[in-house]
Amino acid sequence: MKKYLSIFKIKLMNNLQYRVAALAGISTQLFFGLVFIMVYLAFYQSGNNNNLPMNWKELVSYLWLNQIFFSLIFIWQKDRELLNMIKDGNISYELCRPIDFYKKWYATMYGERLSALLLRFLPVTIIALNLPSPLKLYPPISIMSFILFIISMIISSLLVTSIALLIHIIAMFPLDEKGIMAFIMVIGDLFSGSTVPLSFFPNFLKNIAYILPFRYIVDVPFRIYSGNISTNSAINPLLLGVVWLIIIVIFGYILSLKAIKKAIIQGG
Amino acid sequence: MKIYLNSLKLYFKSQLEYKKSFITGLLSQILIMFTYYFIIIALFDKFDNIKGYTKYEVLLCFAIIQFGFSITETFARGIDVFENLIIRGEFDRLLLRPKNILLQVLSSDYDLIKISRVIQAIIILIISLIKLNIKFNIYKIITISLILISSITIFFSIFLLMASYCFITVQGLEVKNLFTDGGKQIAQYPISIYNKHFIFIFTFLIPYAFVNYYPLLYLLGKSNNKIYVLSPLIVFIYLIPSILSFKWGIKKYTSVGS
Repeated sequence: MKKYLSIFKIKLMNNLQYRVAALAGISTQLFFGLVFIMVYLAFYQSGNNNNLPMNWKELVSYLWLNQIFFSLIFIWQKDRELLNMIKDGNISYELCRPIDFYKKWYATMYGERLSALLLRFLPVTIIALNLPSPLKLYPPISIMSFILFIISMIISSLLVTSIALLIHIIAMFPLDEKGIMAFIMVIGDLFSGSTVPLSFFPNFLKNIAYILPFRYIVDVPFRIYSGNISTNSAINPLLLGVVWLIIIVIFGYILSLKAIKKAIIQGG
Repeated sequence: MKIYLNSLKLYFKSQLEYKKSFITGLLSQILIMFTYYFIIIALFDKFDNIKGYTKYEVLLCFAIIQFGFSITETFARGIDVFENLIIRGEFDRLLLRPKNILLQVLSSDYDLIKISRVIQAIIILIISLIKLNIKFNIYKIITISLILISSITIFFSIFLLMASYCFITVQGLEVKNLFTDGGKQIAQYPISIYNKHFIFIFTFLIPYAFVNYYPLLYLLGKSNNKIYVLSPLIVFIYLIPSILSFKWGIKKYTSVGS
């Protein structure tokens, strides 16, 4: 366990160096946050909206959180290093090392996501909290919901890393990753609720989204924060999130063993 | 022009060598775009208008922007990834050849998979025009043609301007995404729904409003002012500083070596 923790720590320290890139990320997130919010605001101001699934405060917090935690939770983050290794055959060196493939890459990816988040989230959060009224991020509705939100974010980040790693492992089989990766990523993005909150989906798509694991990444934590999912009814989705996490980690781990056995080393 | 078409043909042939990869690429592009349109359609399931604009009006607005952006992405990829030419020092080679530089840069790369986005945009555009029941006369035909041309022009100018910037920094510019992706995001809805600072920036600084807001007012019959028919022409003015700065960049260019 210790070596994986240090891999995680090295990755974290390493990426914290890229402050200029973070600056670009911060401005992009603020910009997109504002644009999305203005679009929804225009919708909300356009009348006849009596049976909306979220009130304005809940929605605006949801949208800001989506931008603030973007670097932690977006599914389609490709690990160039790993993908290039798969492509050029250097993965064979990786397999010689006395460390577990799955755990190593899990630690690496988690470290990368966390460092990206640490560099970006504070400035965006502070600015979002201090914007004028209809555009601002509202504080969580209660201390209890905030605690549950933190727990759900931890589950969310662990889950999204396991899904991203699973996609990379799947990519080891056909060697051309682009098609399958794009497919899972688009589906995941859509059904996690990061493009449109799931509550706004037509019913049949919402039902599909509720079966899939992706909603525990975005939909559940952000709605807990704003109170759209009450603290009483939050326990169930949190447990389901943990169940999905365990399933995907086990599945990914077994698949990684298979992939290594079958590994076709490209080139010399 | 002949060189450009020729290298396009060669690129197309090389892509067809990898048929499976090309097809999965096309399919995933269609899926990605579908989610963009889905957002709009899903929201109009819950709301019936946005500041007076209906579903198909917004879809038309969006399809126009997607059309221009995707065409530029497909056929002007050489400019989009211009930094690669500079970083690898390949730009030196282009300078040695006795042909137009811009044309050579254009011919250096394509992204034909993105053509599926163009096709999708055209389909949405046609569906929206039919659903909106627009009575076409000569003015409206001129308007829609100018809209489509200006949509390509605006992205072409932005790409070119950002490419010129590579001469100075060597690296590509991250802010570019704010102007292209961000602008695209903004311009998918009629610009009047935004806050006035945004409207100002995207009318005068980067003239998206002249691509799919003012001319659209006329096309949709929201205004009868004939001056809006010609409003997309303003976008062409934007092409001048882009080309000039690119030319200036070539003059200033010093190779990175290797």
